[in-house]
Amino acid sequence: MFTSSAKLLLAALLCVGCATASAADLYLICNSRVPLSAADVRDLFLGEKQFAGAVKLVPVDNSAAQTAFLERVLKMNAAKYSTTWTKKSFRDGINPPLVAGSDAEALADVRRTPGACSYVTTPTPPDVVVVSRL
Amino acid sequence: MGTTKHPRANRGRSWVGALLVAALGHSPVTHAATNDSDRIAVLEQKLDQSLQLIRQLSARVQDLEAQAAHGAPPEADKRSGTAAAAPPAAAAQPGTPAAAQTGAAAPTPPDTAQRLAKVEQTVNQMAASAGQHADEGLATHGFADVGIGNRNAEFPQYQGADIAELDFFLTPRLGSRTRALFELNFEVGSDGNVGVDLERAQIGYQFADSATVWLGRFHTPYGYYNTAFHHGQQIATSLRRPRFIEFEDHGGIMPAHTVGAWLTGSERVGEQKVTYDVYIGNSQRITGGKLDMNNAGNTHGSTIVGGNLGLLLSGALDGLKVGVDVFQTRIEDEDPLPPLPAYVTQVRSYGAYAAYDTDSWEDIAEFHVFNNRDLTGHTGTHHSDAGFLQMGYRAGRYTPYARYERGAFQQSDDYFAAQATGSSYYRTALGLRFDVDLVSALKLELAQTHLTDRVISSYDEALLQYAIRF
Repeated sequence: MFTSSAKLLLAALLCVGCATASAADLYLICNSRVPLSAADVRDLFLGEKQFAGAVKLVPVDNSAAQTAFLERVLKMNAAKYSTTWTKKSFRDGINPPLVAGSDAEALADVRRTPGACSYVTTPTPPDVVVVSRL
Repeated sequence: MGTTKHPRANRGRSWVGALLVAALGHSPVTHAATNDSDRIAVLEQKLDQSLQLIRQLSARVQDLEAQAAHGAPPEADKRSGTAAAAPPAAAAQPGTPAAAQTGAAAPTPPDTAQRLAKVEQTVNQMAASAGQHADEGLATHGFADVGIGNRNAEFPQYQGADIAELDFFLTPRLGSRTRALFELNFEVGSDGNVGVDLERAQIGYQFADSATVWLGRFHTPYGYYNTAFHHGQQIATSLRRPRFIEFEDHGGIMPAHTVGAWLTGSERVGEQKVTYDVYIGNSQRITGGKLDMNNAGNTHGSTIVGGNLGLLLSGALDGLKVGVDVFQTRIEDEDPLPPLPAYVTQVRSYGAYAAYDTDSWEDIAEFHVFNNRDLTGHTGTHHSDAGFLQMGYRAGRYTPYARYERGAFQQSDDYFAAQATGSSYYRTALGLRFDVDLVSALKLELAQTHLTDRVISSYDEALLQYAIRF
């Protein structure tokens, strides 16, 4: 009986722990079969780079960490990012990145989708590639 | 806390509590990643709230455990069956709230277990559907704008309020290399009626970042403005296009659309980026005083052939794109009735452009020279030119801008003489764009237009436009 309470509490505390730890780091992660370099990150999330070798890239925004990512990597705010993608879609007929709602969801997308890349706030398991620590 | 003894209410609260714990894992708080003090304060506040919820939840769980111990669990097997019938918990990632929830649900009463299983199922389905957004579906976007003024911005013979256009463009996700783009436009024409036009219908195959082949109808990639903005008034700073590169049925004198094949791509060269376009398509014709892009093909097999080469600079010149373009086509004027001969003109255009687009500035310059030859031997060779310079400064939500444009078109050249709006002109405009929000903008423009050859006249305009995107 007590064990279940402890498990529940532990799970909740882990979640809260994630919340406080996430303020600092960002990790760019990719599906294990994606040969991507850190220098390509900006082009990837602005639709300028859609292939890495023969692999079609699938950028996935992580809405929970997007503000920090835009500020640190793309050097723009959400409004400009949105406008940039509207123009890109209209001119080139490509779609903006998919959007995951959390680190877990972003991680699941990256694991599941060949060519997928995203960014998360926590260190990741070994079955995805950490392209760079941002 | 824990004062209510009604078991159903307790179970309900426990369920809600479990949901809240699960929701914590998906809370935006988890991912705040800035260092400023406000965010830290918000995080601390939410952490306190979370701890309070955990305490409440702990009390609820203890209540439930106590009730389960006294109330006997005769339906323990049924509970297990329910859990088994639920979607596999494997969908929940290890360490995620959903997984933790699964582990904590075991000793709870059967009703709670069923409800937790349903919650788990729902969470799993949501996670699965969130992951499925990946590769398929139809993305729909669009633009619309309306206006009012002492003249219509496109058709100066009208005045008052107007609906300009409603433009949809679709970019379906078809696979890793096949691409498609369709643009459907509802717009008011020169007759004042609403017409429907398939602005773009192009299907393409992407070999690499450096090469995509499109087939269908596309925006002719000359200069900068025609492909950068086209019907997207909300993303354009100014209230309207320069007159000489208006759409064919709005007074433009250049072929804004081509039906054919288009190879386009870009490649990084060091820190710079080179862009290119090469295209071939049906040559256009003039009918009813307007250019027509011959959507169904033409009867003589002649073509428009062109290309565009651009360079995107970086470093100190980040945001600057420069380029050159050229096209040649054979335009038949179908308006003269027999026995008058139809004029056929070889149109050759050379262009150059520069666009500087940064957080603060949007400056565009574009210039075209026309070396046209009358292929029917009546009037020989003609030289004309047109261009514009537009400067805008982004000051927060306000962007004042100014534009000067001119077209000097030889009226002995049938290509221009046959077009209803092919007269020479120059226009000066001052405008102000105000971004109401991210997706809508109000624009005010004061302009003066001088017609300088076919008819000598001038007119002033005061125009207001409300443009949105969606």
